[in-house]
Amino acid sequence: MVSRAAAAIRTRPRREREAEVLVWPDLVFIEFISALIFSIALMVLSAMVNAPLLNRADPDTTPNPSKAPWYFLNLQELLLHMEPAWAGVIVPTIALVLLAAIPYWDRDQEGQGIWFGTKFAGRLTVFGFTAATMVTSLLIIWDGSLHVVWTENIIRGLGLNSDFTWPGGLDWFRNLRGFDTGIPWESLGFTIGGFTMFDDWRAIPLGIPGTTTDPWLLNLNFPSFLSQQLIPVATMVGLPVLFVLFCKMLGWIHTRRDIALLIFSAFIGVYLTTTIVGTAFRGQGQDLKPPWDIVVLEE
Amino acid sequence: MANLERAPRKSFNDLIYDLIFKNYVWQSIFRTGYPNTPRNQMLAVATNVFLHLHPTRIHRTHVKITHTYCLGGLSFFMFLGLTVTGVLLMFYYVPSIERAYQDIQVLESNVRFGQLLRNMHRWMAHAMIILVLLHMMRVFYTGAYKPPREFNWVVGVVLFILTLLLSFTGYLLPWDQLAFWAITVGTTMVGSAPVLGDESKFLLLGGFSVGPNALIRFYTLHVIGLPLVISIFMAVHFWRVRRDGGLARPL
Ligand code: HEM
Repeated sequence: MVSRAAAAIRTRPRREREAEVLVWPDLVFIEFISALIFSIALMVLSAMVNAPLLNRADPDTTPNPSKAPWYFLNLQELLLHMEPAWAGVIVPTIALVLLAAIPYWDRDQEGQGIWFGTKFAGRLTVFGFTAATMVTSLLIIWDGSLHVVWTENIIRGLGLNSDFTWPGGLDWFRNLRGFDTGIPWESLGFTIGGFTMFDDWRAIPLGIPGTTTDPWLLNLNFPSFLSQQLIPVATMVGLPVLFVLFCKMLGWIHTRRDIALLIFSAFIGVYLTTTIVGTAFRGQGQDLKPPWDIVVLEE
Repeated sequence: MANLERAPRKSFNDLIYDLIFKNYVWQSIFRTGYPNTPRNQMLAVATNVFLHLHPTRIHRTHVKITHTYCLGGLSFFMFLGLTVTGVLLMFYYVPSIERAYQDIQVLESNVRFGQLLRNMHRWMAHAMIILVLLHMMRVFYTGAYKPPREFNWVVGVVLFILTLLLSFTGYLLPWDQLAFWAITVGTTMVGSAPVLGDESKFLLLGGFSVGPNALIRFYTLHVIGLPLVISIFMAVHFWRVRRDGGLARPL
């Protein structure tokens, strides 16, 4: 006997002979025309724009900024905000695995084969994409300390205080690293019953000696762990969860397909934003710059 | 009794038509006449190895441009175009650090249409990545990953990764500053993996930094290794589109 799940999987739309058309000419014609249009467009593009060729490779002259190919610049952008192992390997691996897993999680056959397909699909898509794009941009601006520059400029510009600088008490809010360097971790130890706890947050003994040679596991540098791993990862996990809860609250989510639509659209938003920022808004030293201010120096 | 009615005289067009489509050589290549009757049209698709990727009939909704925007087909078309231009590029290019850069310069300045050839290969590679991403989005938003197409979606994800790798391995080949440092940055990211990071980086580069070994490895992967693998996955992908009952349709 076939289980219900297996039976459901085998369900196929009924074949409607009367609604079918012949592949030749109907489909072959469309394929031919689209191939033709692309060939011509690419010919024209290639006649007008040359592929770049810079100076011969020279290991002793590093261009600043050095960038990966554009389709990896979203990862290179992540690299600026977290531990390299997360940005370069773990996050993309998890993202691809989750992407591949979508159909094993959202198995309902309802709504297949038509655009969007659920009642709130349009809103979820627009919201997911827009909100993710905005949140990502804000996070990038914050980690680039642009809010510091802008606040200083505005307060000075308004003549409120002509030599205003970002208050030291808010150093921890300058950027992500602020959680590491802007907090007086040295003075945060405390004593319980004669034992001094956490007198050195930068070397919290963790590992069982002899079981590991990895110094990271032996002595945890908590401030760095916090700013380079805990917060970034919590953000990447937490924001999608918040998105889902928010849309649930609005009553937009009824099926797994709805959640998939929301998260996938948000993912596309993040993917695009980070790619564009990495490509067009990162200048020397990977500082945030408008595209027209970006020059590549060879050092 | 003699038949007084003569067969109607063939028009000039018919003569030409018969000359082209009803001669021995043509019919040895294409078993069917020109596909101008439903029967011949179906036979044309079914008996041709290339067209045979298609079924002979498909549902009306799937020939609407707005259903697929031809994105999967165009991704494949880019792959074909890249193969053709890539083979031509191989005539002029030697993957050694002494020659690679110079070969590209010579290709651009001394080979007729060399610059155009290189440009075509470059822009098609970029176009393919964008088209594959858009194709993935169209599949997602039409809910076409749902059962029974789960596995083909996974095959698709693999195709996406392979497309990126193909492009990445090709990026190094001109051996200019752009190529060298992009690959240096990219492989450094690989090296930061928590497990086997340094090992994978070493395996990829054939050394600790981008040099002659890396060039030959990237070249080999780019011109034969990855194209073979992606062809296999594409074959599976197309086969599964047919096996899973053609494109997804509402129940
Ligand atoms: C080299 C890359 C790829 C090529 C050449 C390719 C080619 C194709 C073609 C020609 C089709 C037929 C329908 C159409 O044109 O839309 C198709 C369908 C499909 N593709 Fe791809 N594809 C690629 C990558 C992907 C990716 C990245 C995914 C998803 C992650 C994917 C998932 C699917 C699925 C699930 C179908 C069935 C769609 C349906 O039933 O409506 N493919 N692919």
